[in-house]
Amino acid sequence: MTIDLDVKLAVYRHFAEHTTRPTPIEVADVVQAPVADVLGAYARLRQERVLVLEEDGATIRMAPPFSGVRTQHVAIVHGKSYYANCAWDVLGVPAALQAAGTVHSRCEQSGEPLTLAVDAAGPERSDWLFHCHVPAARWWDDIVFT
Amino acid sequence: MLFFRSEEMARQWCVEHDYPLRPLVRMDQLWGLARSWYATRLQADARRPPPTEIVRIFAGLGLRGDFWNLGG
Repeated sequence: MTIDLDVKLAVYRHFAEHTTRPTPIEVADVVQAPVADVLGAYARLRQERVLVLEEDGATIRMAPPFSGVRTQHVAIVHGKSYYANCAWDVLGVPAALQAAGTVHSRCEQSGEPLTLAVDAAGPERSDWLFHCHVPAARWWDDIVFT
Repeated sequence: MLFFRSEEMARQWCVEHDYPLRPLVRMDQLWGLARSWYATRLQADARRPPPTEIVRIFAGLGLRGDFWNLGG
């Protein structure tokens, strides 16, 4: 549906510009549609695994790689700080914005900070590792937990 | 989905949280995943890769085995 694409683009462009999640009213204003139609699009985009919503069905928790809430994974691009959902997504922010940036996170065991420069060729050389304790087939059983 | 300074740090974390140690992913492999998923995300024609393509992406990055199998 056209409104689904319009809503998706409005959400992602809002994150890219403002670094934070938009409200349904803000999205409705951009796409020139009633809020109820925006919420309908949200539900369909959730089914397609494009958005993750809070229980109210109206608040965006994730528009991967962007996070609607504060996390330990932060990407700085064009001087703006973006929260990402996880270690994978924090590299996804400069990839999505197609711009160089700096990624900040930490070692989950020791707490040692990670700072990593990222450009179009990828992150600078690093021997840090990524680990996911949920097998790929079950990632979307509970994507927030994953 | 977390970062660890070393395999030993990941191993310790898994023991403390009672999770099995899963395959560890290098930073260059993670960049490949991030690009594959998100490089076109802000574009109108962006789409999530379907399962068959996801498996090919994993394999192309050297991520093979049961952990990376999407099943069904």
